[in-house]
Amino acid sequence: MSNRTFSVLGLFDSSKELMDAIPVVKAKVSGHLDAYTPYPIHGIEQALGLKRSPVGGMVFIMGLIGAISAMAFELWTQGVDYPVITAGKPLFSWEAFVPIMFEVTVLFACFTSGLGMLFLLNRLPFFRHPMLRSKSMPHVTRDKFALAVEAGPEGQVLDVERITAALREAGARTIEILDQPAALGPISPRFLLRTTVGIGVVCLVTGYLTYWSMKLFPVTIPMVHMLDQPRLDPQRQYSYFKDDFGMRMPVAGTVARGHMPYTIKTEDEASVLANPLPRTESVLKQGRQGFTTYCSACHGILGNGVSTLTDAYGAKPANLVADNVREYPDGRIYHVIVMGKNAMLSYAAELTEDERWAVVHHVRVLQRAMNARDTDIPKEIPR
Amino acid sequence: MNLEAVSVPEEALPAVLRTPPVLEGPVSPGSLDDQVLAPVERKPPAAWFIAITCTSILMLLGLALMGYTVATGIGVWGNNIPVAWAFDIINFVFWIGIGHAGTLISAILLLFRARWRNSISRFAEAMTIFAVIVAGIFPALHVGRPWLAFWLFPYPNQRAIWPNFRSPLMWDVFAVSTYFSVSLLFWYLGLMPDFASLRDRTKGRIRKFFYAVLAAGWRGSASHWRHFEKAYLIIAGIATGLVLSVHSVVSFDFAVALVPGWHMTIFPPYFVTGAIFAGFAMVVMAMVVVRETMNLKNLITMYHLDVMNKIILTCSCLMAYAYMMEGWTAWYSMNEYIHHTFWEYIAGTYGWAGWLTITCNTIIPQLFWVRRFRRSYPAMLVVAAAVTVGMWFERFVIIVSSLHQDFMPSAWQVYKPTLVDLGILLGSFGLFFTLVLLFARVLPVIATTEMKAVLPGGQPRHGGGSHE
Repeated sequence: MSNRTFSVLGLFDSSKELMDAIPVVKAKVSGHLDAYTPYPIHGIEQALGLKRSPVGGMVFIMGLIGAISAMAFELWTQGVDYPVITAGKPLFSWEAFVPIMFEVTVLFACFTSGLGMLFLLNRLPFFRHPMLRSKSMPHVTRDKFALAVEAGPEGQVLDVERITAALREAGARTIEILDQPAALGPISPRFLLRTTVGIGVVCLVTGYLTYWSMKLFPVTIPMVHMLDQPRLDPQRQYSYFKDDFGMRMPVAGTVARGHMPYTIKTEDEASVLANPLPRTESVLKQGRQGFTTYCSACHGILGNGVSTLTDAYGAKPANLVADNVREYPDGRIYHVIVMGKNAMLSYAAELTEDERWAVVHHVRVLQRAMNARDTDIPKEIPR
Repeated sequence: MNLEAVSVPEEALPAVLRTPPVLEGPVSPGSLDDQVLAPVERKPPAAWFIAITCTSILMLLGLALMGYTVATGIGVWGNNIPVAWAFDIINFVFWIGIGHAGTLISAILLLFRARWRNSISRFAEAMTIFAVIVAGIFPALHVGRPWLAFWLFPYPNQRAIWPNFRSPLMWDVFAVSTYFSVSLLFWYLGLMPDFASLRDRTKGRIRKFFYAVLAAGWRGSASHWRHFEKAYLIIAGIATGLVLSVHSVVSFDFAVALVPGWHMTIFPPYFVTGAIFAGFAMVVMAMVVVRETMNLKNLITMYHLDVMNKIILTCSCLMAYAYMMEGWTAWYSMNEYIHHTFWEYIAGTYGWAGWLTITCNTIIPQLFWVRRFRRSYPAMLVVAAAVTVGMWFERFVIIVSSLHQDFMPSAWQVYKPTLVDLGILLGSFGLFFTLVLLFARVLPVIATTEMKAVLPGGQPRHGGGSHE
């Protein structure tokens, strides 16, 4: 096996000699022809009968994939997964996504071209090629041109004498015969195994280190210097003030928004209050909601004082639809909601000012409904 | 159509029309290798050690101040409202601009088949990489908490949020990172055959291993070259679009904002031209030094410097046009805020910076109309230095002068840089030149493979090497 010839190569002094030699050698010998040159020679691929490089097509396809995936990703993130309107633009404002689409296209295309050429088409890195250990290699990377007849991937048996003669005839200055290495292939299985295990270990270690450094790095000094900000939190002790409290009392007479104090003491005083809310559908809806939530448990869903709690509670809840309550002014009902009455507690904490007035409206609705008159029935309905 | 039939032979043309020789003296592939690749194996001269000591000190000063900034917070800079963008963004735009000359030379001039580019492309590409590295530091510092800068990238996170892809600042992240990775790839691909040459000629074991790994087993096979050439050309073609897009996107950071003086449609071409302008000035300065100190006078000739100086002159005229357009836009807009900002440029607090910009960028380079100045070291060094200063101050005017007086007079403030700002600026130059000096010692400063391909007689199918 090891005595088999991998290639026979002849060295030429100039690119012209090489180009002239190619047809001469090609006519005389069968075998895989390749040239090794210090720089690309135009027209050599036609002379050697090499196919056109498929790089262009690869770049086009990958560039297209880059463009489509970038645009799709941008539309999905900005319009679907995290739809935030910025600068009043529509969610699918594709125009603004073009620059990044362009850059990603360029990235995909260039890396396909460069790395695809190296890894896929040229099958580099390839450190075990017999050519690299030949005596001719330093000449080839400097200023000489080599024409090689190779056994090729099929492992053709080369007729060394015949090829040498043909190369000599074509004008080769030096002839070198390269033996087939024990295992020819870009990568040996042993190397592949070791590399895979090596990369795996490196991935594990770096992954673990990255995880912990990403976790710990942002919380170490000085990365946390912005977290430490001198400020006074609520309810903290602070010796600067005489009373040792960090919080200060507001100025006397300060009223929090929406918390106007209720100063009326008696139901009679409250009678003069007028309901500030209009009887709109939304107000009545709000009133029904408040009544159902807080009042109906005792006063009953119809407001007639009949409910499930009646016996258990002991005290008898008021019948809100009875005549005496119907004559109450709005302000008086409101006052009872705020202050409570008899066994009823205050509902000031549960209901805001507006909600209380809305509940008053609802009580009126119930009173009207529970005391319907015959004339309320539309005429079209037969009695 | 057979162009060969109608073309006039070189010798029949009058002397002025003949293609000037790009290289001086006889150059063969072998002598090229000996000349360009040999310095890598020699011990560097004393001058190199002195130079790298100086640049390293500057670099360390800059890094220390960056560390101080990170540890203390960006309050140590002069930035404050309304001038929230200052030296950090000026330096970013300045350095990213320096990088543009490299890609222009390597990509656009490759497509135009400008044969003089081969001698300077490698060095210019290296300067691109280093300039983008330096530029990348500044946005990271600018965000204040650089250890969280990875938030800029769209990765699935437990906060379930995505970055805003409608923001030009986000476009910038993509443009600059794409630009850096593509430039690096392009540079590496060009270097690969040269690494193979170095691998086969160096003697030291460690050095040989280093170059062998980088060459990745490159063996110059014809079947490899056909893919290589195609891939290289495609990347050059795409990089042409990329280089134009990168500084356009940088200009969007300004043009998309509503600040008077920024919100202008001229910004993308104006920024791209300025970037190429500043980049070429830096390349000319570096090339003069390389030519003199690295014994490359026959490869980097006065002809090269002459054509680069012509490009500087062209860019200078384009910049003058852009400056005039800024004034014209201000007048034609009939908008009092833009009027005010423009007057601030030339007659306000920073009026001196405005006039320094105009003098350095549009007046001094006019020297290059004279052939004698295009081919004289003192003249070209003066112009290149002026352009570098002028282009830095142009960004200063655009950023600081526009921001310091915005719509609301109650918010007006005069910006003053601190010593930390100035130290980081110096440090960025130190970092850049340290990287350049290291590059000049360990990698071939001229793309020998590309040069070999266009030497006389290099291409038998081209009528005996009509490339030269």
